[in-house]
Amino acid sequence: MSKIRFTYYPGCSSQGAGIHLDRSLHAISRKLDFELETIKDWNCCGASVGHVKGGKLPSLALSGRNLALARSQSPADVVTPCAACYLNTHWANERIKNEPKVREQVDDALGAGGLTYWGDLKVRHICEVLVNEVGIGSIREQVTNPLSGLKVAGWVGCQTVRPFAGTESGGQYTTYDQPKFLDEFTEACGAEAVPFDKARTSCCGGSVAIYSPEKTLHLMRHVLNEAQDAGADVISTPCPLCQQNLEMYQEAINKQFGDSFNIPVVFYSQLMAVAFGMDGKKDAALDCNMIKPEKLIDKVK
Amino acid sequence: MTATPIPTPARKYDLSFARWVYQNIEGADRLSLCMQCGMCSGSCPIGPEMDNGPRKLFMMIRAGMKEEVLSSSTIWNCTQCYNCVVRCPRKVPVTYILQGLATVAAREGYAPAKPTAKFSRSFWRSVRWFGRTDERMVTMLYFFSYGIKEGIRRALANLPIAQRMVKAGRMGIGLPHRTKGAGSLRAILAKAEEIEARGRASQ
Repeated sequence: MSKIRFTYYPGCSSQGAGIHLDRSLHAISRKLDFELETIKDWNCCGASVGHVKGGKLPSLALSGRNLALARSQSPADVVTPCAACYLNTHWANERIKNEPKVREQVDDALGAGGLTYWGDLKVRHICEVLVNEVGIGSIREQVTNPLSGLKVAGWVGCQTVRPFAGTESGGQYTTYDQPKFLDEFTEACGAEAVPFDKARTSCCGGSVAIYSPEKTLHLMRHVLNEAQDAGADVISTPCPLCQQNLEMYQEAINKQFGDSFNIPVVFYSQLMAVAFGMDGKKDAALDCNMIKPEKLIDKVK
Repeated sequence: MTATPIPTPARKYDLSFARWVYQNIEGADRLSLCMQCGMCSGSCPIGPEMDNGPRKLFMMIRAGMKEEVLSSSTIWNCTQCYNCVVRCPRKVPVTYILQGLATVAAREGYAPAKPTAKFSRSFWRSVRWFGRTDERMVTMLYFFSYGIKEGIRRALANLPIAQRMVKAGRMGIGLPHRTKGAGSLRAILAKAEEIEARGRASQ
């Protein structure tokens, strides 16, 4: 089979807090035979706070520029691993595609930078690509180092599945109620997916957790509590902000609520890299986790 | 920038503000379909941090309570989880409406000191200057938006987390990450702002 090629939008977290998602994804892409060609000179998507200061059309124009650059590179589908990047880019793309007025206005703005875009790309979340295009079977085939005995809580979070999962343009790969794909990834890696129905799509507080953490610590505690009750060794997530928040604030949660959490939070792609027998640092980027996932590190070949 | 000012209802059952919202906030044209079932507020993870919650806020819009609506913590504390959007039986795009209200409230100067507005200003500055979000830049601009003294206090309080991030290789100590075409991005954003302002002026 020839390699499937995608245009890749890494998002700002790929250069900072979510560097281990980017690194492990590139690693597994080599095993799973798909190619990620980065959008040259991409910019920020506006995340979940840009609109307050920036306004609607400038926010759409941020995604518009990325899409115009992607289109000038290739007609391939645009994929992104970040929940907020997916939400904003997909939403902007659908609007540009379906609403003539939005299309004209965004294109008019893009013209000021010598660019144009008319909505003929498809924007996808990389998890949807892994389920629908690569396939769970192909993931299973690559496992040479099954993570037997490792208990994993699959925490999907919000924006990866809401509001677009289960819609035609969102790829129909799962629903926003009890999505299964993370557990399928876990089991394909030979690990055990623990019951996690209460917190599976719970919110960590998102960007509110960055600027007003005191308002959101109880949200993250809810996730940690269920993971602990389920006996999880690690929490697995697709979202860079979920990963960062849940890891970064465990100390603050312990301090405020008198808990003693120390639960590692990893990306599904880090689990896959280890299960594929790849390097723990270079490929799985396990050195980037602030709470060391000892049981996963022990399994590195 | 707003050509027609947002109407301030002078008496009870004055629908001028509600109509303004329906026509000027994206997605709010569906607000008239709201049946006050409370699915949105009941699904909200951060409800306890909101003074009203979306259900009540939507009723306040109908009741013409402009000042209370645009100063409400409900529009500032939304975490953008989209629970309400997928669950609303009337398909009211709640999160998007709260986003639109936040933009208007910030532009009209309703809540300059609210953390969300401050954070958004810091964030947008990083995006405008560099084309990308540099976490160090955004958090520092945000901390120091509270003044030098409070900025230093917040920066020091967060130093242990920053040190752990640096140690884990997730926070660089070099120059901010940037888009090479940041200049052309700025031109695009300026043009988008101009088009949006023109749209407001023609309303």
